[in-house]
Amino acid sequence: MNENPLPSIIPEKDWKKIQRMLSKRSLWMIHFCTGCGAMEMPPTMTSRYDMERFGIIPMATPRQADLLLVTGYVAVKTLKRIVRVYEQMQDPKYVISFGSCPINGGLYWDSYNTIKRLDKYIPVDIYIAGCMPRPEAIMDGFLKLMKDIDEGRADGWLRYRKYYDKYKANQMRVFRRWDE
Amino acid sequence: MKAEELFKELNVEYEMMKVKGNRDPRYRVKVNADKLEDIIVKFKENGFRHFVALSCVDWIKDGKFELIYHLFSYETLEDVFLSIYIPRDEPKYRSLRHLFPQIETYEREIHEMFGVDFEGNDRLIPLILEDWNDMPPMRKDFDTEKYAKEKYGSIPPVEGGDEE
Repeated sequence: MNENPLPSIIPEKDWKKIQRMLSKRSLWMIHFCTGCGAMEMPPTMTSRYDMERFGIIPMATPRQADLLLVTGYVAVKTLKRIVRVYEQMQDPKYVISFGSCPINGGLYWDSYNTIKRLDKYIPVDIYIAGCMPRPEAIMDGFLKLMKDIDEGRADGWLRYRKYYDKYKANQMRVFRRWDE
Repeated sequence: MKAEELFKELNVEYEMMKVKGNRDPRYRVKVNADKLEDIIVKFKENGFRHFVALSCVDWIKDGKFELIYHLFSYETLEDVFLSIYIPRDEPKYRSLRHLFPQIETYEREIHEMFGVDFEGNDRLIPLILEDWNDMPPMRKDFDTEKYAKEKYGSIPPVEGGDEE
């Protein structure tokens, strides 16, 4: 996060609070769709539910985005792309895992090529359960994430820094090589 | 040209398949692996210009793989399935990508999922399973549940992450 421009006037604690308040109202979401959950995004984005009233808009590049939505099952090949996109995003960054597949495998519990729990590989801030979650549930998840950010509980990006070696070791147990 | 006329001309036995809800005729033909290329060329010259798919079946009890070449004719609206059998312990066949270029991708997929080697196709690189290091997963003797439990179940949750 940015440094305090006026440390003599604004106390550090208040500055963090201001930053959290501002960042929760301007979540930009990377356009990265996996699995079937992306189908629920168009009604959430467009005029029926209109997520832009909460300051959430889709964004094309990872470097300008704060929010990564994993919208469905994650194959090993997709996981490699998800990790790359996640590492390209700038701090603070948040992950919403979407539907039942990234929680425990869902329909693909015995599949040979899908990972079963996403939070073994990247930190997850909010889970939205359901197969698939309705746009109401998605809006509810967004609001919960905004509340978590405001209260400083959405700390997935800090956990990723702290336990980077462990996350990396878990990722490399499913990847044969990284540079493909 | 009708498929039945072509079968008579080529002197092969065929079997008409009945599919509920689909009135277009479909024919299933078991052909000799050596003659397959000539038969496909003959069909291609006589209207069957659409190569629909190449699929593979693992007949584990017979010790064979069945390769099925699906052809379709827009002139007579007929489907023809040409199937050949290759031995399971040494799965090899020659590539037919010079007849229809799209066969290359089907061969690549079957090489990945069943381990069938297509001689003459130099692009048999991984398609979907780029991190695979086990036996081809669509074979009948591959235990997908055991593999998933061993590979993904053994990965420990990261400390500080969510509770187990």
